[in-house]
Amino acid sequence: MPTSSAERPPQVLEVEQLVAGYGGAPIVHGVDVSVGAGEVATIIGPNGAGKSTLLKAITGRAEVLEGSVRLDGKDVTGRRGDQLARAGLGFVPQVNDVFGTLTVLENLEMGGYLLARKDVAPRVEEVLTAFPALCDMRTRRASKLSGGERKMLAIARVLMLRPNVIIFDEPTSNLAPVVARSVLEDQVRVLANSGSAVVLVEQRASEALTIGDWGYLLVAGRVSVSGPAAELLGRDDIGELFLGRETKPSPALNEISP
Amino acid sequence: MSLFVASLGFGLVTASILAIAAVGFTLQFGVTNILNLAFGDVMTASSFIGYIATTNGVGIWGAVALCALFGAVFSTLLNRLLYTPFVRHGTKLFGMIVVTIATSLIIQNTIQAIWGPSFFSLKFSPGGSYHIGSMVFTSSQFGIMAIAVASMLGVYTLLRYTKLGKAMRATACDPALARSCGIATDRVVDVGWLVSGALCGIAGIALAMNVTSFTSTTGGTFLIAIVAAAVLGGVGQAYGAMLGALTIGLSSEVAAGVIAPSYKQVVAFVVLVVVLLIRPQGILSEVAEAKEVAA
Repeated sequence: MPTSSAERPPQVLEVEQLVAGYGGAPIVHGVDVSVGAGEVATIIGPNGAGKSTLLKAITGRAEVLEGSVRLDGKDVTGRRGDQLARAGLGFVPQVNDVFGTLTVLENLEMGGYLLARKDVAPRVEEVLTAFPALCDMRTRRASKLSGGERKMLAIARVLMLRPNVIIFDEPTSNLAPVVARSVLEDQVRVLANSGSAVVLVEQRASEALTIGDWGYLLVAGRVSVSGPAAELLGRDDIGELFLGRETKPSPALNEISP
Repeated sequence: MSLFVASLGFGLVTASILAIAAVGFTLQFGVTNILNLAFGDVMTASSFIGYIATTNGVGIWGAVALCALFGAVFSTLLNRLLYTPFVRHGTKLFGMIVVTIATSLIIQNTIQAIWGPSFFSLKFSPGGSYHIGSMVFTSSQFGIMAIAVASMLGVYTLLRYTKLGKAMRATACDPALARSCGIATDRVVDVGWLVSGALCGIAGIALAMNVTSFTSTTGGTFLIAIVAAAVLGGVGQAYGAMLGALTIGLSSEVAAGVIAPSYKQVVAFVVLVVVLLIRPQGILSEVAEAKEVAA
């Protein structure tokens, strides 16, 4: 894990001075976030900090007012979701992350929509080897899956196109603690270890920073603190505010309070 | 008993026309989230295109093809030029219903302004009559049923087995998620309007073929049965619309034959209410459920 920005790998996704919101009203103000291949960049912050809006702006679902999003060096600011998928960006939303009316197999086929016809079936088999639990559920409607199975399918669907960057919006919400840990450790972290660049927004801040390489604390639409994830995890002020630890107040607390 | 069987025959023809229309109607809602209440009037416009074609010497099956083409192009343009700008300006479901009602009135009154309030009939020969037990069918009614079966099989194959059809179902379920998979949803929606519009055009001329005469309001009146079939099947669910059409079509014609013609609509809607009491979400309802979750 990097201990300084100089040790980070070349950045694949670079968000610079991003101002974004809805109907012309900014919610995110001048945010800089980036992630390199093999890295997990974890974004934490209180409710209403603008985490989801930031992800929506990156993935073409919210209005970008200023700033830029670069993917593999190319400007993709404000591009539509289908254009971003072609450019190598995968997105796993917090809710509505699978096509409930389609079967597991059809969900995977839609995940591989941009692949050549002959490559879809072999890629489905390849992806299913990483998610053996889904193998026996191919014909099951996605709406009938459990929360954990559904999240597994959402991740498998995104992997169909072998994206360079994968963005997760609170992948453990509504999951039991043991399933949540498995999603973070066995899937999100493993994806980064296999070379993908991963952006992770999480409410389970402690667990998310534990598997992360680089951390960002977003408060009131601005990056309040960024640095090595382990360093953020060790900070008393952040620990007390966002990780549920009880410590004595520190001066830094005031710096990051909204 | 023979009256009941004969009514079943009429019911099969009505159900066939209703199925073509209801699948088109529900497909439009499923893929675009627009409950297009101008659907019946586009059907009427197609009936008039069929009338122009047949009075100018075009054969009835050529006129059917022409009406399918007219319905597809007209519906796609309607969406592109009228509905899409409203959606882009943020008009929601109920606002769009008002827009489609206004569109319905514009089409209906334009037709009336051009053709007047007269009755019209297609110029074609319905062909010989054939008896199957107590049921009597004309050649053209067999044709209508064959077109309905072919349309249903076509739609089923499209949605179930083709990449485009699955993309249409994915877009119907969650357009934003579909886009994040790389699906160009605008194009998929265009195809949805083309297919549903073609079904609308076919249903329009099929309806005109099956009645002795039609007016500028015939399609609009038929819309009630179309909506009933779509709701019964689970709005947005094409297979459900087929079942809904069969239920409404058969029950209404059997009621007309066995009880009295005035009970035709009464019995059809009693069936609708009873089924919805037992299963409020419709017979097949996955799309409706998914839309509720997404909303």
